[in-house]
Amino acid sequence: MKINNIWAVIPAYNEEKTIAGIIKETKRHIDKIIVVDDGSKDNTSKAAKESNVLVLRHVVNLGKGAALKTGCDFAIKNNAKIIVALDADAQHDPREIPKFLENIKNNDIVFGYRKLNKNMPLILKFGNWFINKTINFLYGVNIKDSQCGYRAFTSKAYKKIRWNASDYSMESEMIAKTGRYNLRYKEVPIQTIYSDKYKGTTILDGVKIVLNMILWRFIKNG
Amino acid sequence: MAELLGIQIIGILFGFFLMYYTFLHYKRKEFTVKEYGFWLVLWAVFLIITLFPGLLDPILKSLSIARALDFFIIIGFLFLVGMIFYTYTIVRKNQKKLEEVVRNIAVKRK
Repeated sequence: MKINNIWAVIPAYNEEKTIAGIIKETKRHIDKIIVVDDGSKDNTSKAAKESNVLVLRHVVNLGKGAALKTGCDFAIKNNAKIIVALDADAQHDPREIPKFLENIKNNDIVFGYRKLNKNMPLILKFGNWFINKTINFLYGVNIKDSQCGYRAFTSKAYKKIRWNASDYSMESEMIAKTGRYNLRYKEVPIQTIYSDKYKGTTILDGVKIVLNMILWRFIKNG
Repeated sequence: MAELLGIQIIGILFGFFLMYYTFLHYKRKEFTVKEYGFWLVLWAVFLIITLFPGLLDPILKSLSIARALDFFIIIGFLFLVGMIFYTYTIVRKNQKKLEEVVRNIAVKRK
């Protein structure tokens, strides 16, 4: 089965060094690419535009969740059937996109999971394990890597999982909604390169994510 | 009364300072007449109670609170909790509005 109208959404914040390479590699698998420059202070937008892709630019930095939502909303308005979300910092290898496209055929959402890697910082390993267990306990979704942002979902699934969080907790919110709406999901292993230990989810983000998950389970309707 | 004097002086200075601050906001046209009136009356009531804490005695008796100071602390605490919640709701509302505005600008300028 061939899937038409596949879009890649790449949220980016200060990624002028890596964005062109990511776009180039992504283009081999997906024609329609949106880069959402989340108010970068460097030349991320310029670098992306030079690669001839659609660039949406936030005038101020809102966070990864908000940037991804801007891109996904735009893709859906333009009749996207499948959306592949990947990071701009070269943590996600676009050569693995075919795995996602193969598995989305029979699922609503495909989650990437990072294979256990000795380069993964210990605090991230523990934080991720704790959040995974909390998600399993609260929502019954058994996920190996709740914080991996490499994902693919159908437009129908997006309408259900469309998150409220504007920061990194959107990744957990997406899983929580997958459980709430009983969406079909699959996990695929991916390689990950840790390029910058000061980027991504921090310990404070982790605490916030766990608190939010408890709130979503018992209070929020989302 | 005498042992409360120190706190009363602080309370009076505080009340006058906030009245002045409210007045400044009004003069800078950051407050409407209504807002100005509301805050001015509030600070005036605060000053009167600070000067004549005895006025609170009937309320203290009915609430079984021993001292006016305790009453102030309880009211202050409740007020702060309420203000934090109110501020939280305003921040969340503004955050959502900002997100929508930024998103619209991003799409329009593509």
